[in-house]
Amino acid sequence: MMSETIRKPKPRPAPESLPYWQAARDHRLALPKCESCEKFWFPPTRSCPHCLSMNFSFENVSGKGKIFSFVTYHRVYRPAFEADVPYVVALVELDEGPRLLTNILGIPHDQVTCEMRVEVTFDDYDEDISIPKFKPAQS
Amino acid sequence: MIPDITPARELRDTCAIVGTATSRLGKVPGVSSLDLLVEAIRNALDDAGLQASDVDGVLCRGPDESYSHHQLLAERLGINARFSTTLTNGGASQIMSVALAVMAIRFGLAKTIVCGFGRDTWSRTHSSEEARVRNETRPESMLAREFGPEYGYFGATAAHAFGATRHMHLYGTTRDHFGEIAVAFREHALRNPDASMKKPLSISDYHAGRLIVAPFGMYDCSLRSDAAGAVIVTSADRAKDMKQPPVLIKGFGFHNNTRGWFADDNMVVTAAKQAGEAAYAMAGLGPRDVDTAQIYDCFTYMVLTQLEDYGFCKKGEGGDFVASGALRLGGALPCNTSGGQLSEAHCEGMLQIVEGVRQMRHTYPEHRQVKDAEIALISGHGGNQVCHSTLILGRA
Repeated sequence: MMSETIRKPKPRPAPESLPYWQAARDHRLALPKCESCEKFWFPPTRSCPHCLSMNFSFENVSGKGKIFSFVTYHRVYRPAFEADVPYVVALVELDEGPRLLTNILGIPHDQVTCEMRVEVTFDDYDEDISIPKFKPAQS
Repeated sequence: MIPDITPARELRDTCAIVGTATSRLGKVPGVSSLDLLVEAIRNALDDAGLQASDVDGVLCRGPDESYSHHQLLAERLGINARFSTTLTNGGASQIMSVALAVMAIRFGLAKTIVCGFGRDTWSRTHSSEEARVRNETRPESMLAREFGPEYGYFGATAAHAFGATRHMHLYGTTRDHFGEIAVAFREHALRNPDASMKKPLSISDYHAGRLIVAPFGMYDCSLRSDAAGAVIVTSADRAKDMKQPPVLIKGFGFHNNTRGWFADDNMVVTAAKQAGEAAYAMAGLGPRDVDTAQIYDCFTYMVLTQLEDYGFCKKGEGGDFVASGALRLGGALPCNTSGGQLSEAHCEGMLQIVEGVRQMRHTYPEHRQVKDAEIALISGHGGNQVCHSTLILGRA
């Protein structure tokens, strides 16, 4: 019971985002890509926000990008994050264009900067869900 | 690109605000947001020398979970309303209700419309330990399903802090700049007996405040308040013979960066830019004509970036502009002269309209009055950070 109350919120995939989470479980970052205008978008929806086409498929992306902006939580909004503060929530702009909210791992919070190059890593929540997070790029 | 529009100049100066008031502000335990709003409207009717039966339009925003809130409100006021609806653009709703009132009155759908908003946020979150815990540990089913909570991303503070970080990165803006905004508005609140915040705030107090979501500390964040405000709008013709000096509605404008706060450059160039341009065009005015600005100050940074977007200084120069002392009473552009949402009370932009009207009446004592103020600009911002509205008022 105790572990349930302190567990971080588990993503509850919507039907349209299920392929994203299925790919993440296999440690792949895959986003919807329009078959008409060939652009990626995020979060997953059933129509392309660039051209409104409904023809699309989930395609792997590079997993590389840069930090567009970020914030550092000092306040504990939910008990599950008490051990993590101060922690960084960042908006990462992928090289393919879309921006994703995420955490930045593997670097002290006060060394995170805008424009920093980052790459995806996966945080296994349980056997169903792995959460895409980012760390400083190796190269 | 969205197509250009022709500004509705024919609406300029057709209507006036003839009554305005607030409810009790700050901590008003045991009173619902609807009761606070009724209190503000009753006070605004008194201010205007009107009865509820003189009103034939009701425009409001409710708590978001309240269905068709204007019905509940008009029932409390004991009136049937010709023109009545509930707006749902968050903190941009309050100005939009005033604009909608002007359009309705100008085109004969109603004669006298009350616009208002009330909230009981302090009571819901702070009136007891139980209320605080209930608010802060909401069940998982009330959180976003995905793409936020799993990363520990909660709340409007973080959303706006993303913009602050980006602005600091692009333009060298600092927490000293944000702090000057908090300090200036606190100084204004000390002149306002109705303001919640009673203690002086220095820049060192600001820096000593605990961090919430960096770069924001506690003094960058607006208050949680019980508060309501109301204004009464009627035609400029009818306004001539009423109890108060009429305050003319000279212009308004709207824009919604509905591609999202995180899209494009929306977190550093807000929809205040286009909303402001539209309002200036309707009013036939520009930023140099504005004598006082009442800016939606949910967070300090939002004041700085909106001042740039409204053209009071160039993009990226907001830090220097606020550091000059411009925002203080006696400065180049006195802002949030009642203390704002940072230090008076937070009513999602409604109190900024009330204060704009009061400054245009020239009825304040000298230490609160913006000297010789003829034009006030008011901003509203909300709806997941992307909905924006602008109102320009002037002395008749």
